[in-house]
Amino acid sequence: MVKRERLEITKDILKIIQDNKNLIKPTPLLRKSGLSSTSFKEYYAALSGKGLIQEVTFKGDKHIILTEKGFRFLEKYRAMLGFIEEFDL
Amino acid sequence: MRPPIEFLMPQEIGAELIYSFVIIVCSLMVYYGTKELYELSSHKGIKYFRLAFLFFAVAYFFRYSIRFILSFFNIKTMHELLPTTMGPTGPLTLFLFMYFSSIAVFYLLYSVMWKKWNGNFKTIYIFHALAIVISLISILSNKEEILLGINIFLLAIVSFIYYIVHRESKAKKKRHHLYIVYMLLFIFWILNIIDILIPSFLQKFQLLIYLISSGIFLTILYKVLKKTGN
Repeated sequence: MVKRERLEITKDILKIIQDNKNLIKPTPLLRKSGLSSTSFKEYYAALSGKGLIQEVTFKGDKHIILTEKGFRFLEKYRAMLGFIEEFDL
Repeated sequence: MRPPIEFLMPQEIGAELIYSFVIIVCSLMVYYGTKELYELSSHKGIKYFRLAFLFFAVAYFFRYSIRFILSFFNIKTMHELLPTTMGPTGPLTLFLFMYFSSIAVFYLLYSVMWKKWNGNFKTIYIFHALAIVISLISILSNKEEILLGINIFLLAIVSFIYYIVHRESKAKKKRHHLYIVYMLLFIFWILNIIDILIPSFLQKFQLLIYLISSGIFLTILYKVLKKTGN
């Protein structure tokens, strides 16, 4: 299996949330992301810290949603990849 | 000192002003044009790339300041910028120009190499130390051969590292989009420094250097705007 780049993993996590009508519990998100528990925690903290995702309480349970910045990341993902490739970054 | 009327807009200062303006505006547009991509991705390559252009903008500001000082005091060689003749302003400006222009190119190199160097922060400190040493030699040495030698040595190192990146990319059959533009940028960066340190050396080719350097920055800006969708 090809190792995913950090940026690609971020996109995959955000896409899972978006495809789930922008509302998902942490456990299904962990399962669908294909990451180990430790890696997931690390990414989860990073994405929250950067303001790409946000925790909300829905029907008494903790859920995760995308923020406006999270949606913007998905919109700009292709541009980011194109830019990184163009300038060999 | 020149009489005020003559000083108002000597031809060379006018050309220098337009040239510096083009490079500074291009560099700042690259820096601010990539702001959102960096804020969203936190990608280290993008970080060092945009910082490199911020430093280019600062370096070219000091470059213009040096030209202005040379013209204002009617100085022909850099040796006359020594503190004994005109206080600390001249050497300090020269030091800042050398420091920022060296660190700009080092950051650009690091933006391409950071993955290979495993994001090692020590490399950045080495680059800063090297930039300080180069800047100090530039203001302390008054031998043109030494200044020329340092810059040719720097160009050789930067070109060699970048050539290795290019060769590895080629071996992996990965397209290396801006190899020629980056190599030209490195070469003209050195020519710009030599033009400041040894003004008489490239006097005949000054306009050509300005035109090609502006062309390189405009090409990079065009690519950035195209890719960022701005």
